[in-house]
Amino acid sequence: MSKMSTVKCSIITAVCIGLCVVLPMAFHSIPNGGTLFSPMHIPVLLCGLICGWSFGLLCGLAGPLLSSLITGMPPMAYLPSMLVELATYGLICGLMINLVRTKKLYTDLYISLVVALLAGRIVAGVARALIFAAGRYSLAAWTTSYFVMTWPGLVIQLALVPAIVAALMKAKLIPERYPAQA
Amino acid sequence: MRTLPTGQYIPGHSFLHQLDARVKILCLFLLMTAVIGASPLWGYALVLVVITMLILLSGLPLRCAVASVRRMCWFLLAIWLMNALFFAGEDVLASWGIFQLSRGGMKQGFRVVSNVVLILILGNLLTMTTLPTQVTTALESLIKPLKLIGVPTEEVAMIISVAIQFIPTLMEETELIKMAQIARGARFESKKLSERVASSLPLVVPIFISAFRRAEELALAMEARGYRNAKNRTRCQKEPLELYDYVALIVCALICLLQFLLPR
Repeated sequence: MSKMSTVKCSIITAVCIGLCVVLPMAFHSIPNGGTLFSPMHIPVLLCGLICGWSFGLLCGLAGPLLSSLITGMPPMAYLPSMLVELATYGLICGLMINLVRTKKLYTDLYISLVVALLAGRIVAGVARALIFAAGRYSLAAWTTSYFVMTWPGLVIQLALVPAIVAALMKAKLIPERYPAQA
Repeated sequence: MRTLPTGQYIPGHSFLHQLDARVKILCLFLLMTAVIGASPLWGYALVLVVITMLILLSGLPLRCAVASVRRMCWFLLAIWLMNALFFAGEDVLASWGIFQLSRGGMKQGFRVVSNVVLILILGNLLTMTTLPTQVTTALESLIKPLKLIGVPTEEVAMIISVAIQFIPTLMEETELIKMAQIARGARFESKKLSERVASSLPLVVPIFISAFRRAEELALAMEARGYRNAKNRTRCQKEPLELYDYVALIVCALICLLQFLLPR
């Protein structure tokens, strides 16, 4: 998934950043939908998987920042830790998809996703414990905020992201990872 | 076609409205640092005075500036309770199983909630007195120094500006897909949470397919017109900072410095 031109990668990243602003709006009809389903994570994970680590990192940084400045969500107080979390998702997703090559698309995607989702949560927790809430953050708070409260979002991400990648490949909007031999 | 959402922006001619967006963003970061590094008593008192003055200077009604805080009051209460009941404080007032209500935990919860509320108000003041387009143009110029460490800032600026131009189109597409789903029986306004979730989830895949189709078309059009990189792009408008912009920046830097010099 890295045979695209820089221009196309740039535009896909721009669209993913735009979706970071628009997608949470679509979930506004659900009370507390943003926290429960984490819709902003999906475009960042996709951007990392499709365009690579540098574009994923940019999407993870610019997406929540733009959304916060334009719509006020996430609130500024939560923005720094969210930036760290999403930037790690984009970065690790991009790095992992380049490293993992099992010849099976879904296995590659799931390995990259799971590693990125865990790394993002760990890095964001460490950043909160050491910088944003130094001395005021506990393991219980981390587990509650990153796993217990967001489990529906985790399930949705693991179910939807590979499905979207496969749908985009089927629609020939991104190149096949393992093209069938003619 | 839709226009970019104006977010929380409230038009006005106050001092804060006239400040340059670049300066406002830098001041926001300085004041956020001042809030995070505030000492328990004097630090918070100083930040509170500064924020009150900023609200007066913004010309915004108080209820607008604190609107998002009011919306989040239950969430803030939950944060306070989590800290009060789980923080490993020494002076325990009461305990029920795994919950321990301690004086230290209550103080800790108060500190966390105060930080969140103060930063929320500062963020509101920025977004209520600055147009989203001004904010993003300011961001583009603020990232320029990153060029020194090899970051392709022109590419980043191009991506951000394309993203902003895409937002109205994506909103329109989302609305269309939502309407199509409603026509197929989706119930976004249902009182049942499960029905709303079941209606919202099928939106995601079509939104992505449609957005990526747009991206494909734009990338093809750009490449067909010979676009290769954003290095040689120029801006027709250059807005230098005014004297009051420099004064605001210096005052905020002094407040931030003072915060770390106050007795703890």
